[in-house]
Parts: sequence; structure tokens; C-alpha cells
Amino acid sequence: MTSTAPSPFQPFFLERPLGQRFCIRHAPQGRPRGRVLFIHALAEEMNKSRRMAALQSRALAAAGFAVLQIDLLGCGDSSGDFGDASWSAWLDDLQAASAWLRAHGPAATPLWLWGHRHGCLLASELLARLDEPAGLLFWQPPAAGKNLLQQFLRLKLAGQMAEGAGGSGAMGELKQALGAGETVDIAGYRLAPALAVGLEAAQLTPPATPMPALWFEVSPQAEAALPVTAAAAERWRAAGSAPTLSLVQGPAFWQTTEIEDAPALIEATTAALLSQVQDPVPA
Amino acid sequence: MSATTATIDDCRERALLLSCEGEALLGILSLPAAERPAPVLGVLIVVGGPQYRAGSHRQFTLLARRLAAAGFPALRFDYRGMGDSGGAARDFMDVTPDIDAGLQALQAEAGVPRCVVLGLCDAASAALMHWEQRRDPRVAALALLNPWTRSAASLARTQVKHYYLDRLRQREFWLKLLRGGVALQALRGLLGNMRQARQGSGAAAAVSGGSYQQRMARGWRDFPGPLLLLLSGRDYTAKEFLDNSDNDPAWQGLLRLDKVRRVDLAEADHTLSDPASEQRATASLLDWLQNLAAKKDGAS
Repeated sequence: MTSTAPSPFQPFFLERPLGQRFCIRHAPQGRPRGRVLFIHALAEEMNKSRRMAALQSRALAAAGFAVLQIDLLGCGDSSGDFGDASWSAWLDDLQAASAWLRAHGPAATPLWLWGHRHGCLLASELLARLDEPAGLLFWQPPAAGKNLLQQFLRLKLAGQMAEGAGGSGAMGELKQALGAGETVDIAGYRLAPALAVGLEAAQLTPPATPMPALWFEVSPQAEAALPVTAAAAERWRAAGSAPTLSLVQGPAFWQTTEIEDAPALIEATTAALLSQVQDPVPA
Repeated sequence: MSATTATIDDCRERALLLSCEGEALLGILSLPAAERPAPVLGVLIVVGGPQYRAGSHRQFTLLARRLAAAGFPALRFDYRGMGDSGGAARDFMDVTPDIDAGLQALQAEAGVPRCVVLGLCDAASAALMHWEQRRDPRVAALALLNPWTRSAASLARTQVKHYYLDRLRQREFWLKLLRGGVALQALRGLLGNMRQARQGSGAAAAVSGGSYQQRMARGWRDFPGPLLLLLSGRDYTAKEFLDNSDNDPAWQGLLRLDKVRRVDLAEADHTLSDPASEQRATASLLDWLQNLAAKKDGAS
């Protein structure tokens, strides 16, 4: 066993109602340029993208950003079961995480909410709860939460169909069960109505006052942005927060069977964030 | 640490940074509630496949808490290059130093004299190979869930047995074949697989003087402690493991050794995603561990 170099990241638990939340703080290196709160994707998408989130967090820390990763209630290493989670409890967790990031600095640097997939939906809702402005950095934002819920519920139906059950009405039955206040089991996760309802209603809501917004999409082929996101981007433009859309070549790492990296996304993300916080012109 | 940590928690959790050849590995240690007697066995959870320390649908997060609540400290961690750990990505044949780091941390931080290594899929294979390589006396027992023994020959054999023969019995397959559809391709695949299956696994292993499956077999045979084998009924990896143990001379008789307790989980998939199978597996594991701990107590 050799001795370890000074740790580049500090894992810790944040005390919260219903237990504790697992967090990692990545300390900024060199001149501090900003604070970044990472909001992870949903369920297996979070697992599959853990590596990319770590690599990006380290790249940002090396570029001068303080990064905080938090596992939401019932996710990753945090307390509780996935079935204990609700949309509002997750927003509460994120509010507490932003307060932590504000208290631990670096002070007087801009805040960015960096969301991945369903984390983008949470970020856009979180913004209204914060008492400071924040830029929005999105990785593969979905147009609306109901698409993600649909995809998640389909995992259950795919399992049933493989066993010869689950007909065309099965999606309706699942939604009915959730509507009646029942928790349903989906691919090893317990999904509570309090989460499903919040997710289904979630929108990629534009900020009330104009904020910088950087949206990244990853595609194995360098093709045009998906129309769903284009429509959301139009809404943001109309509301005064025109997002900068970037398409980067790489695997859909949050869905691939094996763990895959998208180095071009990391490079582009770091460069884009740095370009937003250039040193002011000397007086 | 709050008293209301989670729904199932009679346990306390700590984040650890383990040290492995200069890299920092992230681990989470779940400890029994403070008032319990000092534990005699810890469980090192080695996470296999493309998963970080939480596991598919958080199976290892929840398992570690159940183990701790039952009095067994449990540590799960990311290999170098996986999840939040530093270093370059590597495959399961190259993680012996990572398992060493896990054992050392679990022993030091939980104060347990000896450990059980538990692994799913290729982590079960890694656990056997770790023992085969290190003969580490700290390892008291091995708990192996759906061990990975895939080779080109075993994959072909299992596909012939469990997939193509099923398809040949389906009316739809023959209709497609008659129409010249995709079934023609499937038939070519079957013939190719049958050729490969017939070549067997022995030839390739003989050339290399020890395939990873043979290292696993040596570890299995020589390991002096108890072995728990959990096999899912709806899992290709488990079927291949069984086919391999029937066909590979190195595996002859190994599943019937006295030290082996085998539990078949008929309804389970690879990661035990249905709650009933998960509960059955956990109950079997706890029962086996409690027996083991009782023997340790009696011996000391």
C-alpha cells in the first residue's frame, strides 16, 4: 500500500430531514472563478453517468470552479429508499446544497446550476427558490418531465412483455395506480406517487429574469439538435434567456450498457463555462 | 450522524478514501448501531459489471445497510477508474490491488478480524481470482452471486442451448425463415455457434496455461472457507456458469464440495431487481453469515 496524494475531492454527508445526503466537494484550483452545483440524472441514468460527472467535476475544479455533487434523497449513497423520494423533497435537498455552497464559497463568484437530464428540470425549478442569480448549464435536457416518466414506466412494461404479460392498457394501469396513491415497482426501484406527479408536471421553465444558459446535447453523429429541445429553446429565447446550444459528438453515456466517456463534452463544457467568467478587463 | 438516517437503518455510514497504488478510491462503510456487540465478520462488497458502488437500482447501498443492521459492517467501493475513484479504467481481471485496499480499509475502520468478500457477476470472478493470487488469510468466506465465466465457447454453447433451440420451436421463426426474413441470419448464427461450442473451452485454456476461468476454478477448489453460491433462474450469466461447470474439466465436482452452499433463486434476474428475489437472497445471505459468525464465536 502506497501513501495517497492529497485528496482531490472531499466526500461528506450533509445532515437533512430523513437522514443524510452524500456529497462530494471538489475544491477549486488556482484563482476561484465560480461555484457549480451538479444535479444528477434519474435512477439508472445517474448510475451510468457517475463517471462522467466525476470527470467533469474534476475538470471544472482544475479550471477554478468549486463543484458540489449531491445525491438526492433515496439516490446513490444518500439515506432512504428511492420510494421515499418526492419531487419537493428533492428541491429542498438542492436548496440546502446551494446554501452549503454559498456558505463554503468561494464568495463573490457566480453560481451555476449544472443539470444532467432530469437534473435540468430540477435546476430550472430550483432557480426560483434561490436568493441569488445562477447560470444554467444543461447536459441533454429533456423538453418535459412527462417524457422521462414515460420512459421510466416503459422499463416495467418491457419487463412484463418479455414474460408475455402487459398489454396495451398496461401504461394506463400504471398511471392509474400512481394516481390512486400507490407506489409501483419499476426495474428494481420503488416509485412513489409524490415523485411521479412532480416529474410528470415538470417543465424546462425559462428563468423569470434573464440568465446565461448553456445547453449541450451529445450525439454519436454530428447532426442537428433534436426538435423537442429546439422548441424549449425557443420558449427560453422569448423569455429573454436565449440558450447557447452546442452539439457534441459522443456516446449517450447515461444509457449505454458499458460505462463510456464523452471527452469532447467535458472539454466543450469547461471551455464554455470559462468563456462566461473571463477576467474583467483591467481598469 | 442523525438518529433518523433512513427507513431501514439501524446503521451508521461513513465515507472513506481508500488508498490503492497512489490512487484514492471512494468507499462507503456501513456500521452496525453503536450499542451492538463488537462484530466478528465484515463484508467487503465488490461491485461488478458496469456499475459503481451503489449498484443497479442501488442494490448494494441497500444490502450494505441490511448487513450493518444485522451486525455485519459492510464496505462497498469503486475500483480504480470507476465511479468516483481515481485512476484509469480497468477490467475485472486486474483489480486484485483494489480488493486488497478494500480489505485493509474494512479491517482497520470496522475493527473486524476477518472478512467475507461478496461479488456479483465479474466481481464474483474477481473475488475468486483475488484469493487464488493472494491466498489472503483475512478472507474468511466468499459469497458469489451469478459468477461470470464467459468465453466465446461458453457463450456459443449457452446460446445454442437456451436461445436457438427455443427459437427453433417457435412457429414465427419458421414463417420468417420461409419468407427469407431475419431468421435466415439467425440460422447462420446458430450454425456458427454450434461450431464454436463444439471446439470447447479446453483448447484455448491449454494454450494460455491458465484462462481466467481456470484461475477462478483453482481459487474455488483451494479456498479453505465456506462458499455461498447464489444463482438467478432468469439470468444468462448464471446459465453460462452452470454450463461451464458441467463442461470445463477444471470445474468438475467443484459445485458439490461440502464447503459450498448453493441457493437457486428461480424467479430472479441478474441483479435481483424484483423485491421478492432480493429479499430471499438477502435472507439466505444473512442466515449463512450468522452461521459463520456463530462458529467464529465458538472457536474464539
